[in-house]
Amino acid sequence: MGRDGAVLGVRIGIDTGGTFTDLVVMDEASGQVDVVKLPSTPDLPSRAILAALEQAGIDPANATYLVLGTTVAVNALLQRRGARVIYITTEGFEDVPFLQRVDRKFHYDLDWERPLPLVARRDCLGTQERINYRGETVTPLTSDGIENLVGAIRERLADAEVEPADVAIALNFLFSFVRPDHEANVREALTEAFPKIPISASHEVAPIWREYERASTTIADAAVKPLLSRFIGALDYGLRERGFTRSWSVMKSNGGQMLAETAGERPVQTVLSGLSGGIIAGQAFGAEAGASNVITFDMGGTSTDVGVVADNRIRYTTAWEIEFGLPVAAPFIEMTTMGAGGGSIARVNKGGLLQVGPQSAGAVPGPACYAQGGQEATVTDANVVLGRLNPYNFLGGDLPLDADLAFKAIERTAREVGIPPVDAALAVVEIAVENIAEAMRLLTVQRGLDPRVFSLVAFGGAGPLHAAAIARVIGTRATLIPPHPGLCSAFGTLLADIRVDKTWTHLVRSDAPDLAELDSRLNALVQEAVADLGREGFGGEAAIRRSANMRYLGQNYEEEIPIPDGALTQGTWQRLIDGFEQHYEAEYGYRISNEVIEVVQLNVSAVGEASKPQLSTLPERPPTAARAQRRVYFDSREPAACPIYERGDLSPADVIQGPAVIEELDSTTLVHPGQTLTVGPRGLASLVWA
Amino acid sequence: MGTDPARDLVTQTVLYNRLVGVCREMGTTMMRTAYSPIFSESRDFSCVLFDREGRMLAQTEFCPAQVGAIRFVVKWLIAELGEDAMKPGDVIVHNDPYRGGVHMPEHVVIKPVYYDGELFGYVANIAHLVEIGGMAVGGFAATATEVYQEGLRLPPVWLIREGEYNHDVWRVIMSNHRAPRYSWGDLHAMIASLTVAERRCHELLDAFGLETVRQVSSALMDHAERWMRNEIRSIPDGEYEFADHMEDARDPPARDWIRLRLIVNDGEIVADFTESDPQAAHVLNCTYGVTASGVYNAIFHFADNDVPHNDGAYRPITVIARPGSIVNVIHPGASVGGNTETHPRIWGIVMGALAQAVPDRVSAATGGTSCNFLFGGTHPDSGHYYVHYHFDGVGWGGRAAADGNSHQVVPNGNCPATPVEIFETRYPFMARAYRLRTDSGGAGTQRGGLGSDRILEVRAPSITVSALFDRMVSRPWGLYGGHTGDPSRLLVRPAGTPTFQTFGEAFGTNSNSRIANIELREGDEVLIGSPGGGGYGAPEQRDPEHVLRDVREGFVSVLAARDVYRVVLDEIDGQLLIDGAGTEALRGALAHDSGLERIARDPLRPSADAQPPQGGRWERLTGDWWQTDVTNCEFCGQVIPSDIWRAGDGHQFCSPDCDARYRTYWLPRYGQRTDARVQ
Repeated sequence: MGRDGAVLGVRIGIDTGGTFTDLVVMDEASGQVDVVKLPSTPDLPSRAILAALEQAGIDPANATYLVLGTTVAVNALLQRRGARVIYITTEGFEDVPFLQRVDRKFHYDLDWERPLPLVARRDCLGTQERINYRGETVTPLTSDGIENLVGAIRERLADAEVEPADVAIALNFLFSFVRPDHEANVREALTEAFPKIPISASHEVAPIWREYERASTTIADAAVKPLLSRFIGALDYGLRERGFTRSWSVMKSNGGQMLAETAGERPVQTVLSGLSGGIIAGQAFGAEAGASNVITFDMGGTSTDVGVVADNRIRYTTAWEIEFGLPVAAPFIEMTTMGAGGGSIARVNKGGLLQVGPQSAGAVPGPACYAQGGQEATVTDANVVLGRLNPYNFLGGDLPLDADLAFKAIERTAREVGIPPVDAALAVVEIAVENIAEAMRLLTVQRGLDPRVFSLVAFGGAGPLHAAAIARVIGTRATLIPPHPGLCSAFGTLLADIRVDKTWTHLVRSDAPDLAELDSRLNALVQEAVADLGREGFGGEAAIRRSANMRYLGQNYEEEIPIPDGALTQGTWQRLIDGFEQHYEAEYGYRISNEVIEVVQLNVSAVGEASKPQLSTLPERPPTAARAQRRVYFDSREPAACPIYERGDLSPADVIQGPAVIEELDSTTLVHPGQTLTVGPRGLASLVWA
Repeated sequence: MGTDPARDLVTQTVLYNRLVGVCREMGTTMMRTAYSPIFSESRDFSCVLFDREGRMLAQTEFCPAQVGAIRFVVKWLIAELGEDAMKPGDVIVHNDPYRGGVHMPEHVVIKPVYYDGELFGYVANIAHLVEIGGMAVGGFAATATEVYQEGLRLPPVWLIREGEYNHDVWRVIMSNHRAPRYSWGDLHAMIASLTVAERRCHELLDAFGLETVRQVSSALMDHAERWMRNEIRSIPDGEYEFADHMEDARDPPARDWIRLRLIVNDGEIVADFTESDPQAAHVLNCTYGVTASGVYNAIFHFADNDVPHNDGAYRPITVIARPGSIVNVIHPGASVGGNTETHPRIWGIVMGALAQAVPDRVSAATGGTSCNFLFGGTHPDSGHYYVHYHFDGVGWGGRAAADGNSHQVVPNGNCPATPVEIFETRYPFMARAYRLRTDSGGAGTQRGGLGSDRILEVRAPSITVSALFDRMVSRPWGLYGGHTGDPSRLLVRPAGTPTFQTFGEAFGTNSNSRIANIELREGDEVLIGSPGGGGYGAPEQRDPEHVLRDVREGFVSVLAARDVYRVVLDEIDGQLLIDGAGTEALRGALAHDSGLERIARDPLRPSADAQPPQGGRWERLTGDWWQTDVTNCEFCGQVIPSDIWRAGDGHQFCSPDCDARYRTYWLPRYGQRTDARVQ
C-alpha cells in the first residue's frame, strides 16, 4: 500500500548529484525495479530528472510516490556558488561572521588560512536594536531604524561590485532565540520593501544559543534559498506538465523526507539531502545480509561519502561544517564527505609527490576519457588504463570512454613523476584508496569502533570498483555490493520515513519547574511536529520521540534524556530527573547529590513510517559463464587474464573466484585475485577474502 | 597482522589512534561535564596518557600551552612520589609551578591505571581552574610579585585515596578559592575524564593485551623520534640568534629581554636561553615547562602534523633555561602571566631565529598577547559569586604565501572564544560592540591579520576587574620590510564621561597593561583592543588587486592604501578602481628588494679542549616531609624530582647526559656558572 493508503502503483526515487542523476522506479506490487542514470545538468538540474523519467518510459500519472534526494544545496555551499547574502544584525556586531570563534583548524600549521564566511564584509549591516539575555529590550527597534536599514540595503543592492546577481537576506539579531519579535518585525518590513528577495530569519532557521553558529547557519540557509526554490519550482512544473498529480517530497539531512513545497522555505534542512538516502539504503542492505555494523561507502564522480551504522543505529548530529569554522547547525545524519571520486584529479605537488583530489573534473569536462576536453588524469582514467573499466560498456555503452585519451593523460602524469604509465595508474588508484580508508578509520577506530566487526556496503558508480582494496586496508569483514550500486542513494529515498524535528530552548530549574507550562509546551511541540508531518505528506499514526537536554546547574553542555511517556506530572518529572542522574553516573562515574538540574531544551521528533518496498527475488538458474575476457592490472605491472561477467546474469548459484570483473549499467565490481563473490536471493552480492 | 606486533605498522597505527582516542574522549567528557565556560567553550585543558615510566604515550592537547609542560609534570610527579605510594582508585592533584607546572591556575590531576593488579600507566588531565584564591579575582594576579599572592599552591596531594574522598584536602581547597562551587564542579569534571579514560584503557588492554600495548607504545615513541629528526633535518644546520622582550606599559616602559641561541644540528635542536634576563619581580616569568612548551610549539610548526606527539617526538629537542631567569622561575617568583604572555613571545622568538634559516616557512610576529581580562563579583540576578577569565583573538603575522589570519587565538592557545550570548547570560557584562579594527594588521606584501575591538558595559552595581596585556608599547614586528602590527589597548570609559581613557588615567594605576582589583561601576565601559599581526615583505610590493579588495572590505583604509601600500584608488560611479598609472608612478621610485636572506653560522661543535665528565654518582634526594622546595639541573634547568646525578666536581644534573653536555657545550661557551643555585 502507498503511504496515503492509496492503491498500488509505482514509486519513484531520484537522486541528483553533481555528476549523475539517478532514477529508481519500483513496482509496488512485484518489487521489480527499473533504473536510469544520466549525466547531471548542473545549470538546470531538473532537465536531467525529466529526461530520466522519459527514458524510464513511465507515465508520471501512475506514480504514487516520488522522493528527491539532491546535492544541489550542498554543492552550492561547498563551491561557494550560492546567492549573494546581505546579513542584517544588531549594530556593533556586524563582524560576527568574520570574527568566528578564534580557534584554528590545526594546532601547528602556519599555512592554514581561516575560511571567509559566505558573505562579503561590506554586505554585513547593523540595525539599531538590542535585546538582552532575559528578553528585555535594551535598545528598541524603531521605524526610523528600519527605514535606515531599508535605505542601506538599497545602497548595497546598487553596488554591482559584488557577484552574483541572486540575492537573499539573512537576519540574525542577538538573543533572537529568547525573543524573536525584533527579527520578525524587520522581516515583515523587508518582505514589504523587497518582495522578491527571500529572507531567512535566525529564530526560525536555528533558534539556538550562540550568535556565531546561528549566523553561519542562517547565512547558509539564505545562500541556497534562491537556487533550491528555483530548482524545486522547475521540477514541479515539469512533473505537472507530464501529468503527475500528487505531492512529492525532498529528502532531509536528518534522513526523513518533507513535502517539496515546504523544502524551499527552509533549505538548510536539506543540505545533506543527497547523502542521507545512501546511508539508509546501506543500513537496509546490511540488515539483509545480517550485518548490524555497517560502514557505508558511496563513491561517485566528485566525492566519497562515508557513514557508520553501529548496532543498527544511525548517528545524528547538529555539528556539520561547510569547512572548518563555518558551521551549519541543523539535524544531520552523521557522515564524512571527502573529495575523492572517479573524477578526482591526480596532480604532482610541489614536493614531487603524487596527490589525488580533492579537485575534481566533475561532469564537465569530466575525466580525460570522457573526451569532453578534460586534460588532467583522473581516477577513472587510471581505471581505464588498468583495464578495470570497460570503455565500451560505461553506463551500458551510453557514454563510450576514449581509452586513448585516458592513457595519454596518465602518461603525462607518469612522466612528471618519472615512472611507467601502468605504475602511475596503480599509484593513482592506491592513493585514492588510502585517502578513503583513512576517513573510515577516523569514523571507526578513533571512536573505539573496531572496523573488523563491520561490513562494508559499497555503492555509488565508483564504490564497488575500489571497495575490495579499501576493505583490505582497513580490515572490514564482508564487502556488500547492492543491486544497482550506482543508484543506491536513489533507492534509499524509497525507504525514508517522514521525519520532523522540533525544539524549544528555555531554561527550567529542577527545584522550581512549572510543570503545567512545560507540559503544554511539550504538547505544543508534538502538535506542531505532527501538523508538519501532515503538511509534509504523512496521514497515519506518527511515532513520537520526546527528550530533554539536561545538565547540572552551571554546566554548559547537556545530555539528551528521553522524557517518559504520558503527561508531564510530578511523577514523570521525577523519573526524568532520575533518568538524567542515572545516565550521568553511568557515563561519568559520579552524580552530584542535591544539585539543581537544569532543563535547557525540549526536543520532539515525529516519525511517520513509510511502507518499505522489497526487491523481488532472483529466479533460480544454473551458474553463469563469463561473457568475455580481458587483461586487467591488479597489484602488479603484469596484467591478469580476467573473466568478465554481467551482473544481471548472476544468481545465488554462482560462486565467482577472483580475478574477475562484474559489469553492469551503473557500476563495475572488481574481484581481486584471492577473493570470492557470492550472490544473495535478492541480488545482494558479497565479497570476501579467501 | 604480522608476527612481531611491534613491527606491525597496522597495529601501530590502530593502537596509536586508539590511544589518542582515549585522550580525546577524556576531553569530550571534560567539556560536557565542566562548570566553567573556560572548559566547555574554551577547552583550556589537555588530556594525556603515560606509561609506567611516566613517558607520554598520547595526548590531545586542546590547548598547546600545555604541550611541553605535560611531558614533565607527570614524569616529575611520579618520580617524586614513587610508584609505591600509589594505589588503585587514587586521584592526585597539584598545581605547583616549581614542579613542572605551567602556572598556578593550571591544575593537574592524575590517576594510576592498573590492569590485572599490575600498574599499566597513568591518565592525566591538566586544566585551568578559573578561581584559586590569591590577591586578585580570577586566579590571575597581574600585579603579584611572588607566588604567595597568586593563589593556593598545592604540592602533589591526594584528592581521592583508593576510591575514598580525602575530605581534608577538599576542605582546604574549598576554603581558599573564591568560587568553590566552580572549583568543585570543574575538579569533578577532571576526575570524571580520568574515570572514562581508565575504563577505555581497560578495554584497550583487553583487546590488545598488556605486553603488546607496551611493545607497540615503545615502537611508536621510537617511530615518532625518527620522524621528528627527519623533519628537523629539513632546516639547514646552523646557529641562529633572536631576542625579544616582555613589557610593562608604564612610564617609562619596563622591559625584560629573552635571548635565544637556537642550534640546529643534524636532526637535533638545542634552544639555549642562557643569556636571557634574570627572573623578574612580576608575573611574566616562565616555568621551565612554559619555556619548553613555547619551543616545542614553534618547532612543531615546522614538522609534519602527523608526527605522533608522544614522548619520542620531543627527544630531539633540548631546552636550556637557567634557573632564576625569566625563562625558568624559582621559588618564590611569580609566574601566572608566563603561560599566556611569555609563551607566545618565546614562540615568536623561535620563529624569528628560524626566519634566518627558512625565510619562506615562517611568519612575522603574531599579536602575541592573550589580552587577559579577569572579573568577578556577585551576580545581581542570583546573588551568587561568579568569576570569569576572558581572552581575545589577535592578528597573526603575514606569511610567505598568505596574509596573516585575523582575530585568531594566540599560538599557545587554541580555545574558541566564549560567545557573546553565553558571556552575557552568565555574567553582568553586556557587549556593546565586537568588531575587527581597520588598518590594525601590519602592512606588507602579505598583510598581518587584523586585531579586534570589544566594548563591554557593566550591568551590575559593581564588578572587580584585573587585566594582563602585552604588546601595548612594542608593536608586533614585521619581516623583510613588512610593517609592525597595531599594538593592543585596554581602555575604560567611566559612566557619564565622554571618552575612553587608559586605566592609569582613569584610576591612577602605575601600569596600563597590568592592573588588579579595580572596581568598576554600573554603566562603565571597557574597551579591549587586541593587537594586529606583523606584515611580511614590503607593502609597496603587495598586489594592487589585493589592496583594492582589502579597501572594499574595510580591512585597509583608502588612506593607508595610498600612503603605505602606494596604491592609488579612484572612485568612479560609486565604484573603487585601481589607478594603474598613478600607482605605477607612486611605486616606481622604490627599489625591489625582497629583503629575504639566510643567515646561518655553523653550529658549534664540541671544542677540542672541552673537559670530559669527571665521573659521578646517582644520589637520592632527601629532605623533610614538609619541604616543598625543588632542585634544578645545572645544565638544562629542569627539576630533579628524586634522583640527582652528582658529578665528580660536585655539580648536580638530572642525568649523566646533561653532565656531559655541560662540559662539552656550556663550559667552553659561558665559563663556570655563577648563579646563586650553584653551591
